[in-house]
Amino acid sequence: MVLRIFFPQCCNQADSGLLVGHWMPGHDSAVVLAVIHYPFIPGQVKQYLQQMRSQSGVELSVLGSWSIPKEGQEHMESFLRDLSTIFPQDCWLQLSRTIGKMGFNCHVIYQDLNGSTTSCKAAKKNGKIKGCDRESGEDNEEELGDEEKMILIHYEQRKVMQSQLHPIEVPDTDPPSELREVFQTVARSRPLFFLDRYDDGPLKSTHWQSQGREASIIVELLKQASVPLCLLISWLLSKWTRICNFSLFNLYPLRFLSSKLSTCDQWSYRTEHMRTLSSVKPAAGHTPFMRKANILVSLLVDVALGVLLMSWLYRDNRISIIANALLPAADHVAKELEELLQWLMGAPAGLKMNRALDQVLGRFFLYHIHLWISYIHLMSPFIETILWYGGLSACLGITFALSLLSDMVALLTFHIYCFYVYGARLYCLKIYGLSSLWRLFRGKKWNVLRQRVDSCSYDLDQLFIGTLLFTILLFLLPTTALYYLVFTLLRLVVVMFQGVLHLSVDIINSFPLFAVGLRVCQPYQLAEGVKFRVLCEEPGTALHLLMEINPLKCSAVVQRYRVPTYSCYPKDSWAALVKKLFVGELIYPWRHKTTKSD
Amino acid sequence: MHQRQRAGALKKSSSQKCPEAPADNFRGSTKKHSICMVSDFFYPNMGGVESHIYQLSQCLIEKGHKVVVVTHAYGRRKGVRYLTNGLKVYYLPLQVMYNQSTATTCFHSLPLMRCVFVRERITVVHAHSSFSAMAHDSLFHAKTMGLNTVFTDHSLFGFADVSSVLTNKLLTVSLCDTNHIICVSYTSKENTVLRAALNPEIVSVIPNAVDPTDFTPDPSFRRDDRITIVVISRLVYRKGIDLLGGIIPELCLKYPDLHFLIGGEGPKRIVLEEVREKYQLHDRVRLLGALEHKDVRGVLVQGHIFLNTSLTEAFCMAIVEGASCGLQVVSTRVGGIPEVLPEELITLCEPTVRSLCAGLETVIARQRVGSLPPPESIHSRVRTLYTWRNVAERTEKVYDRVSTEEVLPLDRRLLRLRSHCGPVAGSVFAFMAVLDFLFLLLLQWLVPDRVMDVAVDATGPRSMWGQGSSIKLNATKGAANPDLFGE
Amino acid sequence: MEDESFTDISGKPVSLDCRNHSNFCREFTVSSAKISIGKVLAYTCCVWLLAYAVFWVTENTAVLSSAILITLVGMTLHIHFVKVDHESLLVIGSLGIQVSSSYASGRETTTFIEMNKIKDIVINEAIYMQQIIYYLCVLLKDPSDPEGASSVVPLFQSSKPRLDCLVKVYKSCQEILSKC
Repeated sequence: MVLRIFFPQCCNQADSGLLVGHWMPGHDSAVVLAVIHYPFIPGQVKQYLQQMRSQSGVELSVLGSWSIPKEGQEHMESFLRDLSTIFPQDCWLQLSRTIGKMGFNCHVIYQDLNGSTTSCKAAKKNGKIKGCDRESGEDNEEELGDEEKMILIHYEQRKVMQSQLHPIEVPDTDPPSELREVFQTVARSRPLFFLDRYDDGPLKSTHWQSQGREASIIVELLKQASVPLCLLISWLLSKWTRICNFSLFNLYPLRFLSSKLSTCDQWSYRTEHMRTLSSVKPAAGHTPFMRKANILVSLLVDVALGVLLMSWLYRDNRISIIANALLPAADHVAKELEELLQWLMGAPAGLKMNRALDQVLGRFFLYHIHLWISYIHLMSPFIETILWYGGLSACLGITFALSLLSDMVALLTFHIYCFYVYGARLYCLKIYGLSSLWRLFRGKKWNVLRQRVDSCSYDLDQLFIGTLLFTILLFLLPTTALYYLVFTLLRLVVVMFQGVLHLSVDIINSFPLFAVGLRVCQPYQLAEGVKFRVLCEEPGTALHLLMEINPLKCSAVVQRYRVPTYSCYPKDSWAALVKKLFVGELIYPWRHKTTKSD
Repeated sequence: MHQRQRAGALKKSSSQKCPEAPADNFRGSTKKHSICMVSDFFYPNMGGVESHIYQLSQCLIEKGHKVVVVTHAYGRRKGVRYLTNGLKVYYLPLQVMYNQSTATTCFHSLPLMRCVFVRERITVVHAHSSFSAMAHDSLFHAKTMGLNTVFTDHSLFGFADVSSVLTNKLLTVSLCDTNHIICVSYTSKENTVLRAALNPEIVSVIPNAVDPTDFTPDPSFRRDDRITIVVISRLVYRKGIDLLGGIIPELCLKYPDLHFLIGGEGPKRIVLEEVREKYQLHDRVRLLGALEHKDVRGVLVQGHIFLNTSLTEAFCMAIVEGASCGLQVVSTRVGGIPEVLPEELITLCEPTVRSLCAGLETVIARQRVGSLPPPESIHSRVRTLYTWRNVAERTEKVYDRVSTEEVLPLDRRLLRLRSHCGPVAGSVFAFMAVLDFLFLLLLQWLVPDRVMDVAVDATGPRSMWGQGSSIKLNATKGAANPDLFGE
Repeated sequence: MEDESFTDISGKPVSLDCRNHSNFCREFTVSSAKISIGKVLAYTCCVWLLAYAVFWVTENTAVLSSAILITLVGMTLHIHFVKVDHESLLVIGSLGIQVSSSYASGRETTTFIEMNKIKDIVINEAIYMQQIIYYLCVLLKDPSDPEGASSVVPLFQSSKPRLDCLVKVYKSCQEILSKC
């Protein structure tokens, strides 16, 4: 049975006194939180502990005594030993240290139910444990042989108090973890650390804040200013939501449009964030606090980048340059498409196409392009104004500018999307027809009920017609396939570009800058675990270990604290995507997750 | 080195308990071999070859030999596992190509197999099943490394079509310098000897066996108002499922109280389903799907007649299992089936629908009259026919004989390949044998034998299995145990 | 404190250092062989000769400077992320087990596993590349299954000592684990 004592490093040089802490149930270990110095009145100590227990919710008690023998304090040892009768405990620790030696001397007095005491000295000489000596003459059933061992674990109190052990939520089925309880005990004992050396009260204690409480003026001012700011923002938000829910906007076309535009998504997303930030209640717990902090920092960075972009955009007349370049670019794209279609209508790459179908499809698509170009020309005087006002949206954040850009690209390439849909539908129909007629060829059919392929006997005329249709479809396949291929490639290019934009928006939205910054500047706050180091021990003392905090890895920080977004990620794996392309199903490779409230 | 045992893992296989005196184990030779069984087919796959390997290994372990099994990885099951009584199984991560058979390039398995043979100090390599590429690879490598080899063939093969010709050639090459071959029936021996042009002196016949305590009759499960025919096999072409598809409608029309119980899975299942739907026999034909091995007996005891329609079979264990459960057996007369059961217990027919129907009708008539022998008597006759201990004893004799023979060194091996296997194949494989040898030299230079840790035995004369607690106690007391790792 | 030399699975020498801090606290350090100067020289010469050959063909000095950059960056990444100098196992009875590896550049990664999560320390066999080796590992408890192990943490993964070294460490660890 090994006894484990967690001792704060700040108390290493404390004056003699009483050890105050917490015995952890079921673990054979104790955490020392503070040392209350001599002189003290035991009644006041008990009262103080009672008060602290109710304030912090931790089962505090006097664990034992601590002594550093100094000049003129020779009777301290015996005095402290007699204290064990005033504060009745099952187990009374006596830690003492001599100046000049690094190790502590540890003494444990056990008080059993009979009232007799047995003491064991956890001293080591040459690797053997010295036997215990009994003070009372009564017989005890327990055999306390040479098995009494003690480990003294030194920890840095301030860091442990501020640190958060990950994973934060542990399932109930896991066995209770000793280290987790140590961290929680120290964190919850904050009220204990308000009493410092310079107070006028009757008790003087040593802990990490015993040199005086630390505070910062700026933080206090910000705290005061934040409340009215939050109230203002939440009032504005409520007004805005009321406007948005105006029934006019709930008409079907507008609703449908707004669900397709990524700018609206981004807008609703940011509104949600502002709502989280503007709640007046302070964050309860570590995770909500980190979430709020991350959102705030990402919002600020977003706006800063946006303002930077704006300052670059509105200088040197760049808007008009871009607007003037846009129209010729659209014209150029349309001309290229027309040339492509003319090439397809001829003999592309030496392939022979079916003339009639070719002409029909080619003319159909050419007409569409003609319509589109007229539309663009119609819009041309307004483009500069649109761009100018659109650029203003960058002041809300660079994510807005990027979403707007993505939406504009989608609108400008709408014709490519239409072509793709026509081509894909035609091709898909053809493929299904071919596969069904192929089964007919072999005397099988698809059993919808059983979802399998069955054998079937067909009539002669069914077979005849089926074969005819099959031949027709087969020979028309290359033409359709070629058109499908060309437009799918174009569509994929557009999709890739949009995907890149959405991914970058997503990264800016969800990257936890605050958490990463915390990990870099104060790594002990996000702890993955602990690490131990054996301190050089001297023979005759217990084992001393130094407990340091093992910070979370940067990648784990990012993964854990990612702000959940409507993340854009590929819906299908590569294999599924290729299969869909082959069969002719319409692909929407980027899926938008609807914003969930977490 | 001992492995931590989980509570309950050390179960002695209850089926192996027999009221014989333990002195039987020491009858015969006292020389103990280190045997390595190699095949593509092993647990968790269930089948004839798999259970043969398992049961044979258990009986050999009981006799005091050291047995290790090498097979390929099944899904996530890779590495080293231990089965009952310390049977160590190596699941090597080699690529599986088709139907649980690994791909073969003749060389890619050499490093791992060499590792296994060296660290387990193997003396005999016993390969199973000619369908298994890994088995042939292991024979090839074992001969290059100078170990004695034994091969067991479980199947029959044709001679006429192209795939058979090629496979037979490969078999010839593989078996031409193997020390000994075992076949499961006399028909199989003839077939193998002809296919691989072997010397019949080095081919032995050791039939399979069936565990009689697993398959006991229980007439209470039968329903007396009907006659049930049980078919348990993989639903593939080789097992004659098309014949079954023809028998079912004919007989079901004639006998209204006839029921079929079909267990097993395979690509021909659709034939049976279509027959069932076409003739509206849903209540009389039940398709049970894939069965676990432990459920087979439960299905068998529900029937009166066991039907086997295989088109080719070397030794059919299924009919022995059926007979052991007290069923009357009707089967096609192919391959080694006539040798398996005595005439009173089996009705043999030609592999056509008409002949099978006629055979079944006679048995049904006898069942109706009541002139069939009772299940217990059938079971007691079958019980003594085939036992695994007998198989193990005979196999042990083969090992004893093989261990005295010499393994051909490289020059004689090349000569033998070229002379015995024909000009083309012989030269090609002689060349590959040379390459294999050079590869082995390269491996011995890269990872010398002395760098490999010798494995701690779980079976055999130096076994550490079952000594776990005593070793832990020694460790606590700090006592050294030098015998643990002595050479 | 004893320092003994063993070999790893490829035949290279490793050394084992056992320190007995107390009756129930022991530390085992396995140190692999250091980077050999020969290998470094060979690698650098290869890269630079190749770069010079490319330069001789293309007459572009950027190739040479990029070769130097690649060599430097590659070596830095290797000693910081790949080359392990020593791995240590610290067993503290009734508290837990600490596993740490320290790289050639001085970087250390540490993991501590609490005693209530540990089921046992065992020596297991595994297939590694084209060999079958013994390795020491820690079995962690599965909260839902008292007889099972939820996961396995292998120890000494970079130095991979052979069975004799592992047995020594294993016996020592079992002494401590059985006491607590």
